[in-house]
Amino acid sequence: MTGTTPTERDSGDARVGIDPRGPRFGAAITSVLLLVVVLLGLIEPLGVDLLARATQPSALLLTALVVLFAWGAFAGIRKHPYGVIFRRFVAGRLAPPTEREDAAPPTFAQLVGLIVTATGLVLHLFGVGGALVIAASAAFVAAFLNAAFAFCLGCQLYVVLVRMGFLRRSAARA
Amino acid sequence: MDAVSALVVIAALIAFAMVLGLVLRARSVRVVAGCGGDEHLLTVEGADVTLVQLSSPVCSACVAMRRVATDLVAADPTVAHREIDVVDEPEVARRHSVYSTPTTLVLDRQGHVRSRLIGAVKAADVRAAVDAARVVLVRA
Repeated sequence: MTGTTPTERDSGDARVGIDPRGPRFGAAITSVLLLVVVLLGLIEPLGVDLLARATQPSALLLTALVVLFAWGAFAGIRKHPYGVIFRRFVAGRLAPPTEREDAAPPTFAQLVGLIVTATGLVLHLFGVGGALVIAASAAFVAAFLNAAFAFCLGCQLYVVLVRMGFLRRSAARA
Repeated sequence: MDAVSALVVIAALIAFAMVLGLVLRARSVRVVAGCGGDEHLLTVEGADVTLVQLSSPVCSACVAMRRVATDLVAADPTVAHREIDVVDEPEVARRHSVYSTPTTLVLDRQGHVRSRLIGAVKAADVRAAVDAARVVLVRA
């Protein structure tokens, strides 16, 4: 332990960067919750009307995850509740980070997670069978790779978007 | 679907993610030699070898690669390093089959692409690729 408190060490200063283990800790929780969504979605029959589909357990849990992804994507990864839990209860028990990283890559990953899960949720609400399970499975794979392998979604996806023409100079700079 | 089948699907999903992770990890950092291609417009004037790092702003490995390259350039003035956002040079990314960032093109004095460094390559491997690029290419 160094003399600094966990909060001081990981206050998330823009110049210092964040502890890369923070987002991976969050991704581990997210991946378990997404697996629960997949499990519930496979077991439950599709609700008969909009209200039934919106209030079935799998959809409720996925809605919570959509909100959490939006939180990370728009407020930034530093303000995400998992990040707060990590700093308060986990970081202090670990050795200080050997390296720090920019907050932009994990924030981008949150945005991708938001797009995937929100699309699945909306399609589910419109009565598309399997949409919830497929979207939650895709998001699970990304979150699991992040947690277990430190997979960097932004390292791969950004180039692919550029090459496919979805991302252009002006759009990226906006 | 009954609970047992659902659990089988869950197990298959975890296994798939595991295998995908191992494959991606094995492929994420590597050096591809002998790529060819001419990118003399990207060379830095006067440098024996130019490292052209294609990056994205949302890429954590790009920062690690930048650190390795910057250290190397600081120790060896015959080597230059420049970093380009792929969104600024999509044609370069297309010409050299860049599917992930960072990908660093190792250019010799004439601007020939001698190798590609994919991912945050270790300093020793960057050094080896740089030294290989110093050897004058004999064209048939």
